[in-house]
Amino acid sequence: MKQGYVIIGFWIALFIAAGFIIKASLAEDQSLNYNKIVEQASTNSLPIEEGVYKLSYSAKEYLELVNSGVGFSKNLTSYYNRRAFPGAPPTIPHLSEESLSIGGKECLQCHQNGGFVDVYKAYAPIAPHPEYINCKQCHVPLKSEGNFKANSWKKMEAPEANQQALIGSPPIIPHSLEMRSNCLSCHAGPSAPIEIRVTHPNRINCRQCHALNDNSQNTNKIWTR
Amino acid sequence: MRKCQEKKKKQQIMINRRDFIKKSAAASAMAAAITMIPGILFASDQENSTLTGDINWTKGPCRFCGVGCGILVGTQNGKAVAVKGDPNSAVNKGLLCVKGYHQIMCTSSADRLTKPLVKKNGKYVETSMEEALDLVASKMKETIDKHGKDSVAMYTSGQSTIPEGYVASKFMKGAIGTNNLDCNARLCMASAVAGFLTTFGADEPMGCYEDIEHANVFVLWGNNMAEMHPVLFSRMLDNRLNRKNVRIIDLATRTTRTSKAADKSILFKPQGDLAIANSICYELINNGWVDNSFVEKHVAFNKGKTNIGYGLEDNFKFNDEATPINYEEYKTFLADYRPDKIEEISGVSAKDIKYLASIYGDPNLKVVSYWCMGMNQHTRGTWVNNLVYNIHLLTGKISQPGNGPFSLTGQPSACGTAREVGTFTHKLPKGVVTNKKHRELAAKIWKVPYDRIPDKPTYHATEMFRAVDRGDIKFIWTQVTNPLVSLPKTSRFRPAMEKESCFVVVSDVFPTPTSDVADVILPAAWHVEKSGMYGNSERRTQYWDQMVEAPGEALPDAWITIEIARRMGFGDLFPYSKENHHEEIYNEYRQFHVGKKHNMAPLDILKKESGTIWPYIEETGKSTLWRFNSKYDPACDQAKDFDFYGNPDGKAVIWQRPYEPAPEMPDSEYPFWLNTGRVIEHWHTGSMTRRIPVLHQAVPNAYVELHPTDAKRLGISNKEKLKIISRRGTTILPASINERGMPTIGQVFVPFFDESMLINDVTLDSFCPISKEPDYKKCAVRIEKV
Repeated sequence: MKQGYVIIGFWIALFIAAGFIIKASLAEDQSLNYNKIVEQASTNSLPIEEGVYKLSYSAKEYLELVNSGVGFSKNLTSYYNRRAFPGAPPTIPHLSEESLSIGGKECLQCHQNGGFVDVYKAYAPIAPHPEYINCKQCHVPLKSEGNFKANSWKKMEAPEANQQALIGSPPIIPHSLEMRSNCLSCHAGPSAPIEIRVTHPNRINCRQCHALNDNSQNTNKIWTR
Repeated sequence: MRKCQEKKKKQQIMINRRDFIKKSAAASAMAAAITMIPGILFASDQENSTLTGDINWTKGPCRFCGVGCGILVGTQNGKAVAVKGDPNSAVNKGLLCVKGYHQIMCTSSADRLTKPLVKKNGKYVETSMEEALDLVASKMKETIDKHGKDSVAMYTSGQSTIPEGYVASKFMKGAIGTNNLDCNARLCMASAVAGFLTTFGADEPMGCYEDIEHANVFVLWGNNMAEMHPVLFSRMLDNRLNRKNVRIIDLATRTTRTSKAADKSILFKPQGDLAIANSICYELINNGWVDNSFVEKHVAFNKGKTNIGYGLEDNFKFNDEATPINYEEYKTFLADYRPDKIEEISGVSAKDIKYLASIYGDPNLKVVSYWCMGMNQHTRGTWVNNLVYNIHLLTGKISQPGNGPFSLTGQPSACGTAREVGTFTHKLPKGVVTNKKHRELAAKIWKVPYDRIPDKPTYHATEMFRAVDRGDIKFIWTQVTNPLVSLPKTSRFRPAMEKESCFVVVSDVFPTPTSDVADVILPAAWHVEKSGMYGNSERRTQYWDQMVEAPGEALPDAWITIEIARRMGFGDLFPYSKENHHEEIYNEYRQFHVGKKHNMAPLDILKKESGTIWPYIEETGKSTLWRFNSKYDPACDQAKDFDFYGNPDGKAVIWQRPYEPAPEMPDSEYPFWLNTGRVIEHWHTGSMTRRIPVLHQAVPNAYVELHPTDAKRLGISNKEKLKIISRRGTTILPASINERGMPTIGQVFVPFFDESMLINDVTLDSFCPISKEPDYKKCAVRIEKV
């Protein structure tokens, strides 16, 4: 009998507690409506972590390609030739008709997952950031040669590939990771430039061993003791 | 011998390698440490670890559009070598567009102006800076002595820095004592300003870009954001991808990339926007979707003059008059805008109008309206700005996160310089010249006699160049702008500027069609070659430090103005130092905006942060993100929930503004509408972007877009050369069919950047009588095959 009261009491207590929780959450919902004070604009800038595992579903396939000799047409020279400076968005090297469509209906047809494109007899490079669908915001096809006026622009040197601190130690990452956090899109698969193609794409946690070395975000003097 | 060389090479490599290994060992140890103990950085190691070369990164705002993205410029051995997005900037969070990434490449163009050029016997001769400045100052003085103060004029820019605009205003209005100062922002933002002042009594948007993270629906009024404000557009797309219930509606007269990315595209006839906005208001009232308590507490009703003309004749004058009306009268007025009644003039179905109204009227949806040149470059620009505010005021969707009308700017400092410093003929750094108190404040801070500042505005941009043509202005100085490509009806103004009657001085970075007619060309320092501040669309002020040296004798425009002022005997008013003038000027300028409503952040804060939004609250060190809402804005009367403190009664105004037709409509002789605008690759008149190889090679020339149906009917194929003819002039361009954009049937579109295919020879110099901003989007043309 006593046990029965305890059980009923327990359920009543639980019921009241649930009531409070629901009420509290409703109140929170209301306060969220319109009026959440935003202290300062949120600073989730371009992700440099999110893309790390993005292409991991292809990793096994890439591993099989490593020694197969498939798609070895791209190298770092052609890679940097398409950029005004290392880190600049590459231009579109193939015929790209001016069309009204955007992102998913156009560029991403080939550049989301890559693969062999018959028209160009080449493997399409994979966009490391397919979530940005207004592709031609940054990437433009070049339709003419020559300049409006001569220009003495000099490209800065590209970072050296395979920079190892010790013999055999894992090379560092010599470039910034904004828009390029998806390592496998450029470092594995048949469209990757040969010099930077990784031998072990199946070890998908790249940054377990490869450390970032990029000083571009430290615009202020850094604190020292 | 060869062996020796090889050995030497090997040694070199060895050294490099050893050096390198040392550095990278430190680097990876440090990186490992960072991951283990976040927050601790090993400074000396970090600074020395220069594996990517000795690149020094400095923050600043982008040189191009009004979005005001934060950039990091990489410099190496005194040269700018790379650009990337500033991840700390709340505007762009690290993303840029193709112009932004490549901007610094223009500075290495071979035809960079590095020495002053003076026209002698029809030929340009290089002179020293001293000689050129002496000549300009003496010519200006001589003109004033002979023909009076109002015979000299200065025409500046929404791309001038805050210090540049400030000294120009002080020089013309405070030192010389003439209101002959206007700027190219008249061609892009004047209607927005007039809209804000008539509705709210205070200029600039109440919201900020943070609205994008809160809104459910974005309504774009005639604004191709995918190309013109690409970074904000990507921010919108990002939100649509990651949040539920986010939609984009594109309301335009042309199908663009924006329309394709939008969830719904609604096309309307040119000038139809006036009817659409009124019709939405009709529906809101008719369906009971009005926020009655908001309207009761915070809104007043006015009507203005109608049939107000188009400014086509010289010396056109117009002053609007506000007459208070009541809610009932306003409702009666709207009866003519029942959705089915306006289908004919707007070209939009009643169903689509009702759809738009249902979105604005749904209390559970947060709605932001965006617009830019489509609504501003409009012969009824002020009206259509007022009308969109009406929608937001009726529904109370304003001044809250994710809810509000937002007028986007075109130029990087159209807000910061043109509007806030006030480089317009009617403006002062605070207020207008017609207001005695405002003149007194300016005179006090400038330390000039109060009666030196004239109380009447003189020439706005279009009228200024008409006055040059008439011979009324005998000396004109342009800075940071290229009017002979950007003015409407350049076919009149090019011969005007070539006349002997006017002495033309042009300060610029590159030769342009405007400098081609100059008597003196002064070489100016480019963006990162000087220090300064810009203010973007969301009231954000951004500071940057000089990063590289300007070439040759090029000087910052502010310093050129100061040098001229000193030579004209106003040295005591310009006691600034060459190294630090930008800081001294900013500190002086800040005094104008002291107070809760427009406080600007102090310099040390601006130097530290990637921009702050005014009103800046110094006690808490915070930006005010939403004005007029007492929750966020301490300048409000805290007893009220909303306080539109720009108007004396604290109320915003709903304006009764009717539909009126455009001044020139297609007819049997000129059967096509002509619409003009920009492309993503080029900035305004292309003087910078065409000198950037990537951008020039992407879009090497302008073109004329036609609807495929029109092209087929006229037998025109893609790339075929066409002559565009209006009553003002002609230009020849290749056709573009089914490419980047598609105008509606009966309309053609031409981008205006190309100085070899000047579409502004064809456009009409009609303007909004209230804001005096020209309409580049509507005139009548015919097409001929060449």
